[in-house]
Amino acid sequence: MRRLARVAHPRTWLPTVLAVVVVGLLWTWVARDNPYVLPTLPSVGRQFLDQPDLYLANAWTTLQEALLGLLAGGVCAVLLAVVVGESGLVRRAVTPLAVVLNVTPVVAIAPALVVAFGFGLTPKVLVTGLITFFPVLMNTVTGLRSVDRHVLQVFRTVDASRLDVLVRLRFPSALPYLFAALRVVFPLSLVGAVVAEFAAAGAQSGLGTLISVASANSQLDRVFAAIACLALMGSLMLLLVTTFERRALAWHESQHR
Amino acid sequence: MSSPPPSEGPFVAVNDACTTYGTGPDAVRALAHVDLQVPRGRFVSVIGPSGCGKSTLLRLIAGLEAPDAGDVRICGRTTAEARAAKVLGFVPQVPALLPWLDVLGNVRVLEKVNRAAGRQRTQRGLASDPVALLTRLGLGDVLTRRPGQLSGGMQQRTALARAFALAPDVLLMDEPFSALDEFTRESAQLQLLDVWQELRTTVVFVTHSIAEAVLLSDTVVVMAAAPGRVAGVVDVGLDRPRHHGLLDSAAMHEHEHRVRALLETAWDPVSGTPTGTPLRTPGAAGREVA
Repeated sequence: MRRLARVAHPRTWLPTVLAVVVVGLLWTWVARDNPYVLPTLPSVGRQFLDQPDLYLANAWTTLQEALLGLLAGGVCAVLLAVVVGESGLVRRAVTPLAVVLNVTPVVAIAPALVVAFGFGLTPKVLVTGLITFFPVLMNTVTGLRSVDRHVLQVFRTVDASRLDVLVRLRFPSALPYLFAALRVVFPLSLVGAVVAEFAAAGAQSGLGTLISVASANSQLDRVFAAIACLALMGSLMLLLVTTFERRALAWHESQHR
Repeated sequence: MSSPPPSEGPFVAVNDACTTYGTGPDAVRALAHVDLQVPRGRFVSVIGPSGCGKSTLLRLIAGLEAPDAGDVRICGRTTAEARAAKVLGFVPQVPALLPWLDVLGNVRVLEKVNRAAGRQRTQRGLASDPVALLTRLGLGDVLTRRPGQLSGGMQQRTALARAFALAPDVLLMDEPFSALDEFTRESAQLQLLDVWQELRTTVVFVTHSIAEAVLLSDTVVVMAAAPGRVAGVVDVGLDRPRHHGLLDSAAMHEHEHRVRALLETAWDPVSGTPTGTPLRTPGAAGREVA
């Protein structure tokens, strides 16, 4: 109830509303005289009203690519993090490779993946997977190692197995770190999907494809309608992660104010 | 006790243990030829200035470290066997609770690890009922709270309950109340005494408080630093059960005085430096604690 009251107070929402209004006014002012810089807001809105199916279908394609890639990248990263955490040998073998992979711009890899795997779903999932892999890996490794040493001592005095320590101590300790990574990689997965669609010039659908085709035809209203879809999807993803995080990490300091 | 000792003799035996940290000229001798014998059912405190190796000694008994020389036996077993059989309870300096579990969950979490050993142990009395144990320790109203919602004293009592709930043969405590304020500490000590009076667990309790050592213990082992060694032993002949009124009694002060006198033979309180011989003291080392 207290939170509701805080949200209802003008001091909470007024700055946001004002900022949106100011940006909207600036946008309208620029768009009125420069139709090839920015489309007018009503024309972007009309895009949605005229062809809702077009945007829904393309958004669905992109969302699928993003989520599948996220799932693949995230699951691989967590599994590898567990192995890395349990074995110093694997850690020393894997860390340099993972770092090289991380510093290589995925945008540069995307065209090669398209050549290798065609215009279907595979290269897009791969690109998204690559882009989400590293943040999840590094955060999970750090999280798995963040167990309090005194707790570890207590567990060692009753001869807890490595599996017990992993399941009962390391995983829960890693959760805050994992969620921090998810907050980054959920929106990042959309970047991966769109980049892969840009690279796959012959792709049939997806918001990235829609954007590249529409901008080739100078249809700025369509480009921005697609961008708005992406922004909305990213925001919803973030909202989803934050909601889950609040429930799963109710015990953690990060959720207390 | 659930498992009888395979051999007669002291329950916890540290024989001629030596521990050195580091190598070369920087090496620190944490323990030099330390002997400690704790009979079954005794509450033994280990006291000494910082750096006297009392926490190291406790970690040796807990099997968290191995001595460079000498050995440690828990009821005839090696520390590794004792840990595997789940007969050790350990209370560290900090509560070390799992923040995602509530109080009851924290007390029961050790049930779920090393289950094979747990099944062979039949628990009795208070130790078999975590709720009763927590209630006895004054935590009956906060069973479903998480550690983050508890005071420091409540957290440390939860850690005590977690150790007692194992129904350990030996309970090892490493300055468990040192971070608490005076009032909280006193009540925690009295609650510990209350539960101990019923369970009579063999305890090795490390502390740097003379009053705490005397109030709780049957025997106080005084250690000296550089290198860590046993400087002497004070038997506390106060009647049990012990209670709050004892805290300011003449008998208690008399024992405190004896512990302090022994401490001062090994440690100069004015300069804060160790005195006496740095090597094995024949009179102190090897003495039976009984």
